[in-house]
Amino acid sequence: MRGESPSIEVDHLSFAYSGEDLVVRDTSLSIEGPGLVTMLGPNGSGKTTFFKLLLGILRPLSGRVLLNGEDVTGNPLRASVHASYVPQLSAVRRDLPMTAAEAVESALPRRLRSRSRALEALEMVGAADLADRRLSAMSGGQLQRVMIARALARGTPIVLMDEPFSGIDPRGREGIAELVEELARTRLIVLSTHDPVLTLSRSKLVVIFNRGVRAVGRPQDVYKLELLREAYGPGVLLIEKCLHVVG
Amino acid sequence: MYVDPRWVIVVLGSAAAFGSLSPLVYARRFSFFAASLPHSALLSVTLGYVLSLSAGGHPAAWAVALSLPPSALLIYFLHSGVSVDSATSAFVSFSVAGSVAAMYYVLTNYPARVSLWSYILGDPLLAGWDDALLVVAVAVPTCALAAYTYMEEMSIGLDAESAAASGVRVRLHDYLLALLLTVVAVSLLKAVGFTIEHVVMLLPGAIAARLARSARAFFALSLASSLASGAAGLALSLMVNLAPAAAIGFVLLAIYVASLLAGGGR
Repeated sequence: MRGESPSIEVDHLSFAYSGEDLVVRDTSLSIEGPGLVTMLGPNGSGKTTFFKLLLGILRPLSGRVLLNGEDVTGNPLRASVHASYVPQLSAVRRDLPMTAAEAVESALPRRLRSRSRALEALEMVGAADLADRRLSAMSGGQLQRVMIARALARGTPIVLMDEPFSGIDPRGREGIAELVEELARTRLIVLSTHDPVLTLSRSKLVVIFNRGVRAVGRPQDVYKLELLREAYGPGVLLIEKCLHVVG
Repeated sequence: MYVDPRWVIVVLGSAAAFGSLSPLVYARRFSFFAASLPHSALLSVTLGYVLSLSAGGHPAAWAVALSLPPSALLIYFLHSGVSVDSATSAFVSFSVAGSVAAMYYVLTNYPARVSLWSYILGDPLLAGWDDALLVVAVAVPTCALAAYTYMEEMSIGLDAESAAASGVRVRLHDYLLALLLTVVAVSLLKAVGFTIEHVVMLLPGAIAARLARSARAFFALSLASSLASGAAGLALSLMVNLAPAAAIGFVLLAIYVASLLAGGGR
């Protein structure tokens, strides 16, 4: 581990699900925490795939992934020591009979699994009062807090969040953004989003991603029309005045 | 009304095994596999019977040994990217055609000491002490293993990727669950019968999912509904001279309908 700063290093990473259609194309990246990193990219740009590569769930065609200086390429067990994952809400099975506390407990290693530890994690995200509520009885924002608690319970210095604002109402999004900002004071948090407005001012770095890293840097240096059009295509508009629903 | 202890052991033992696995089937969305397993079990049992006559050995041991590779292969194909529909269709087609061919061969070539009908319809009332011992030998470790791996399976069911990221060996659990279901389906086929086996594997979990307010209650309710339907089904079958497997199926259905009407848990 490189000092005490959590770090992610990606070295010439390439990945394809099948054939030669590279979803991640010879990408390199080096980021160090603590802090918040916002990853922007259109649908189908490979952000979730990139997260899975970082977590060792997918094995790349070439390249390496290092978390906190340790090579975790294609090794989810080794990666799990360093990083946790908050999935997209659409992937979470809400109909499963499970309380918030149990959802958090189930992510803990057997030797650490306890209700008290789960409650601690729920407390961290302001969801302790949801401990015994069934997942199906929660709002999107509440469920997202539980899934974040599930990732935090393991105490990893790196947390990857896959579109944490998706499927949440505007007030809920602001609450999640504030929570993430607070958590990023002591952890390296990388989140992907389609709504950069919530996290730009809170981020130390922005990564623009489309089948690979197109740009990385400070928000003021990277969040620019030409760079965004490179990733998103011509459908990026600069509008002087815009309306936001904040709740 | 005479109640033989062997009947009770076989019925309740089978109920315990199926009842403990059913919530895992529900959580992991393995119903496609659980529903097709009786076909594979029937093929394995029939071939096991043939091999035990020609090569010696216990027919149940042969049946279990023959049943595991196809199940493992199905999971391997799913991990390799074959769609669930395609893989299951191939699995069922192979099992159905194979079991019909095997049963025809047995019925025309071997003087059967045990009627194959007991495997198709299920007849715990024909159980001997060796059958009862087999059920206990399967049910006890099954319940223990299901309980031991329960939270990991629920974690995978909630979201497989975050479970993998937390250190759970998801693929290993896929194989473990598939092979455990296979062993149970083959070993207990005579107790519940081919016709009703997928019902006892699927319904307890479906009932519990409607009523449970927590994961722990989910497991307990599945086990309870399975045991209750086993006991009530056996009693009903003795009282009205109905096939035990049918009676168990009817009781399970009644409990499921009651859970729908109660509308609890959601």
